[in-house]
Amino acid sequence: MEEIILELKEKIIDALNLEDITPEELDASAPLFGDDGIGLDSIDALEIIVLLEKNYGIRLANAAEGKAIFTSIESIAKYVQENRKK
Amino acid sequence: MPQSIAITGQGIICAIGVDCESVLSSLKKEEHGISQIKYLESIHKELPVGEVKLSDNQMKDILGLPTDREVSRTSLLGAIALKQAMKSSVLKKEDLAGKRVALISGTTVGGMDVTERHYPQMLSDKGKARYVRQHDCGNNTKEIAELCGIEADLITISTACSSALNAIILGSRLLLADKVDIVLAGGSEALSRFHLNGFNSLMILDYDSCHPFDSNRHGLNLGEGAAYVVLERAKDLSMRKGCNPIVFIAGYGNRCDAFHQTATSENGEGAYLAMTDAIAMSGINPSEIDYINAHGTGTPDNDRSESQAILRVFGESYPPVSSTKAFTGHTTSASGSIETVICMLSMHNNFIPANLRWQQSSEDCIIPSKGQQNVELHNVMCNSFGFGGNESSLILSRTPVLLDDVKDSAEYGISSIHEITNTEDLSDVKKYVTAMEARRMSKIMKAAILTSMQAIESAGIQKPDAIVIGTAYGMLDQGEKILNHIEEEGEEGLSPTLFMQSTHNTIAGTLATRLKCHGYNITYSQGEDSWDLAISDAKQLISEGKAENILVGLHDYCPEHFRQIFEFAGIKVPAEVISRSVIVSKHKIGKEEGNE
Repeated sequence: MEEIILELKEKIIDALNLEDITPEELDASAPLFGDDGIGLDSIDALEIIVLLEKNYGIRLANAAEGKAIFTSIESIAKYVQENRKK
Repeated sequence: MPQSIAITGQGIICAIGVDCESVLSSLKKEEHGISQIKYLESIHKELPVGEVKLSDNQMKDILGLPTDREVSRTSLLGAIALKQAMKSSVLKKEDLAGKRVALISGTTVGGMDVTERHYPQMLSDKGKARYVRQHDCGNNTKEIAELCGIEADLITISTACSSALNAIILGSRLLLADKVDIVLAGGSEALSRFHLNGFNSLMILDYDSCHPFDSNRHGLNLGEGAAYVVLERAKDLSMRKGCNPIVFIAGYGNRCDAFHQTATSENGEGAYLAMTDAIAMSGINPSEIDYINAHGTGTPDNDRSESQAILRVFGESYPPVSSTKAFTGHTTSASGSIETVICMLSMHNNFIPANLRWQQSSEDCIIPSKGQQNVELHNVMCNSFGFGGNESSLILSRTPVLLDDVKDSAEYGISSIHEITNTEDLSDVKKYVTAMEARRMSKIMKAAILTSMQAIESAGIQKPDAIVIGTAYGMLDQGEKILNHIEEEGEEGLSPTLFMQSTHNTIAGTLATRLKCHGYNITYSQGEDSWDLAISDAKQLISEGKAENILVGLHDYCPEHFRQIFEFAGIKVPAEVISRSVIVSKHKIGKEEGNE
């Protein structure tokens, strides 16, 4: 799990151009969206969907499905662990 | 003297027909044109589209062109529709002699299909490299004029999906200001892998035929096509035999939602303002609008927000509304003129086109019309919205509507010009944007924000009330990255962030959102004329009394791969970075500099 979390952090930083943030600074349990967390928006959610398909072969049908999974990096990691195809 | 503007000709080609007669017949018989991809080279056979049912070669045949001539599908569609419009207006080439004629055309994808065909060989084959000339939107308008054999001032509007409606609005404005005598206005857009995959990356495509305003709507179907109209001052018409007004321009509005690049605000502020501007200008009571042709793309976001705006303007007793995109697909930059022509056909044939496939009411949407026969349509509204929150609305009337003409204001204030022309340090942009915002910004976006904010500060204003931008190549950086992605990795896995920022009006929309500027918002893309067109529009806005302080900019960036292609082709290489901003004001600005 820890391994996937670190890998996801690196991939998310890269895909979302979070240049000024290091993986250590990213809190895996913090909410990804909204003002009281990391502050990502709906376009970031779409980027994460692309990232999951590219790296883990996980295909989400629509953005709404993503919203439920993408509450935090931890929750994405859990989903990846259970659903990855590669 | 107030006067009226008539539409005297119309031409159309789209998924449901190749001329007015066939489009009218499909609308009346409720036969849609959504089908599997046939002509576009793409892996996405699962995505239904509103493709024009003609191959490039069939269109070249219609236009009498040799099949080996490389012409963009966008230009072929455009030329076919424009020729029809001129014919229906009984407008011959000799009628144009000695007249000030403008061809105003809206497109965003432009010659992207040509670029897509040759991009992989553009650095190895000089002949193919030269096709880069056909890439930009401005060239598309030039090509359409050439194919139709007309000489006209060329103006290309590129405000994403509202481009063609903005072209018709600009045509009316130029006629009212007596800057032209005859306007050919509309738009054209052919399907491309570029925007099919781009829209797909935003997850707003319906994998079934779309059903706008339905509670089960999942997104849009992309379409393609072109439509043009001929606009003239009604008082000039007696001079041309056989020419009759079809409808009259009653009012229009162009506003910015100033909310987000691709999402729409909850209450549809931009759409609301555009519709109320159009109604106020027309002097028509909202209850006298007989039909609204909605933008109605079928995405959850658009249909909710447009519905809320319609309810705010018209209340619960709103007029019959339908989206004809269930017939044609979303023809993006051409949709404004295609739907204007559909409105004109409906008005003359006394019917309301059905909002096909609507089944279940949605709690956040209006209930659309299932179509109606034998109904008199005197005043009709046509909505057209685009990325960057660019929202426009046009009202057409069966009878002449007097509109105020425009006299040139004698004086304008112009702030000092702020310019960035090379790889200067752009880190100052952090004064204006947060790190979270800056992470998505390309070099040209940072430069545009810097020069714009400097111009605003030097003019001593809080914010502008309109934004007018010129750009020769648009967001070529994003375009290049998307083309590279498709070449290297194929069509899957495209970055939505890249596509979201790829339309030519990305800078105008981003500036409006940053500055919360809901006013007039436009982007010109006509090669080296782009800056002059922008300045001239700003001055007219002041003469019209529509704005007092206008932010005018010119922003272009030429990325590495395109630089190499231009060089290899022996074509003048555009500057790497040019970002220039100025405030054009109704008032004198302290330090007068830089007469353009």
